[in-house]
Amino acid sequence: MSVIAPKFKLSEFIKSLLDNIFWIILLLVLIGVPAVFIILFVIPMPVIDGELLTPFLALTWLADPTRILPVVKAFMGTDIFRVMAFPGFGFAALLAAGTIFVERKMLAKLQLRVGPFYCGKFEGILQLMGDGLKLISKEIIIPAKADKPIFWAAPVLFVAAAAAFVAFIPVAPGWVVADVDLGLLGVFAVIGFFPIITILSAWSANSKFPFIGGIRALFQMVSFEIPLILSLLGVVMLTGSLNLSEIAASQSVFPWIVFLPVGAIVFFITMLAELERIPFDLPEAESEIVAGWLTELSGMMYGLVQLGTYLKLYAFAGLFVVLFLGGWNGPMIVPPFPAELLTTGITIGPITAGPFPGLPLFTQEMLNGTLMFVLKTAGVIFFILLPRGVFPRIRVDMLLNLGWSKLIGLAFVNIFIALGLLYAGVLGPGGLQ
Amino acid sequence: MADAVFLALTVITIGSAIAALEMRSLIYGSIALMGTLGGVAGFFFLLDAPFVALFQIAVYVGSIAVLILFTVMLVKRELIFKKIEDKRRKFAGIGLMLVFMVALGAVFLDSGIKTITTDEPAPDFRDIGIDFVTYYWPALILMGLILAGSVTGSLVLARREDVENDQRAN
Repeated sequence: MSVIAPKFKLSEFIKSLLDNIFWIILLLVLIGVPAVFIILFVIPMPVIDGELLTPFLALTWLADPTRILPVVKAFMGTDIFRVMAFPGFGFAALLAAGTIFVERKMLAKLQLRVGPFYCGKFEGILQLMGDGLKLISKEIIIPAKADKPIFWAAPVLFVAAAAAFVAFIPVAPGWVVADVDLGLLGVFAVIGFFPIITILSAWSANSKFPFIGGIRALFQMVSFEIPLILSLLGVVMLTGSLNLSEIAASQSVFPWIVFLPVGAIVFFITMLAELERIPFDLPEAESEIVAGWLTELSGMMYGLVQLGTYLKLYAFAGLFVVLFLGGWNGPMIVPPFPAELLTTGITIGPITAGPFPGLPLFTQEMLNGTLMFVLKTAGVIFFILLPRGVFPRIRVDMLLNLGWSKLIGLAFVNIFIALGLLYAGVLGPGGLQ
Repeated sequence: MADAVFLALTVITIGSAIAALEMRSLIYGSIALMGTLGGVAGFFFLLDAPFVALFQIAVYVGSIAVLILFTVMLVKRELIFKKIEDKRRKFAGIGLMLVFMVALGAVFLDSGIKTITTDEPAPDFRDIGIDFVTYYWPALILMGLILAGSVTGSLVLARREDVENDQRAN
């Protein structure tokens, strides 16, 4: 029995919800509907196809697929849809939420624990929703001598930077939020913002644990940015482009990991360090410095930072897929759209559905590309999560030694491999790809 | 449109530069410096040079500003700065800046910058790369040597001789 709400009863909770719904409907009927009709009385309604557009007619049209499908299609072509829903924030947040749950459950299975179990009927499937509700309802506590503007701004900036990173990742042919010519450079520029936000957040909390964590994060991120950038130069040399969509499209025959395995390994290790994941989770080392630079963050501020962290994880995994695993390229396994649905409709028993002339909302290539991208990204995320169940944390001097001497050297080896492949004629004009 | 963006960027750049100089809090000063560097990146975007602009963001905002922030956070400012400030110095500084700006402006206006046509397509960064390895190769090699020299020098400076056992005090 929880101490905070000792008299909690599910039936009372449902009753309060029903109460709220009752009052909303009552107020809507008594005030909302008359207000709508008064407005309609004043505004001259347009005449469409010889009929006066009344609310009833508009609702009828909304239920008609031949009229509503073009509207939906037009909406899906807009930038708002791209930013908010599909290749942008909504899609990434969905994958990030899935990652959080899979991580907790998978780690538990690896370590012979149960993991989230009670929230929801089946295997704690609603745990994430419960955590979210808890974070939203918690009080946000700000340390007494904190620098308030920076402390408030840092979590928001962190999510914003992560979302900007997500915007560069192409999911399917033509489906990318920001299809810029210098996409990879944009990614480098965005990655450069994370250490600043981290150290500002850590400093502004005016507390010792966050500051130590922030300095560790700064060391780690800044020093691992160099092998990160160097390890991707091989791909840029082989492709001759900095546009991420072009890089993904160039791997229709072989993914670059076949030719540049060293670069892929270096990028994967630097990725773990940039994401502050075990074995490189010194900034958050919970057994030494409480929670590192997240110590003083509470409530939804902590939730925002977590959301940003997992968005960043998805974006890094997507970047790995786009650069080394061929992006959306893969075998065509999505069946073609049934053509009779456009012309005659499909008859199943007594019911005939259709015809829907506007229908294929997404092309077959787009659906297959998205499926391939999601499968590969899920695989990469799995390999990012896996070390957490196995490895211990390494010391900071070992980390910096690894970054500055070994990984930078390996990244240069990777660049020379790429140059050798180009000059030997294996790749490039007249070569394999 | 471009004029409005140019004006806004100018206000951001110069305003945050003044703020970087005048702020009492060194942290806020460094944040304002970041704004200045970001504004310069915006100018490069406006000049159809996104390559330079993105490197400006990645290197200056992402790395140099972080180094400055880090230094500021670790150092107690009372120990290193002695405040020497009076009215005369301030006005002398402002006057020096004005003279410098007028001189620079005169040089720019005299250089024929007004007759440049602006509707030419932006140069591709691939062309710049090809120019670097063909016509300007001595400059490229010189830059590479200078960078290698400075990296080696910084490594030598940062190298720390670990204390051997026989050097330890008894």
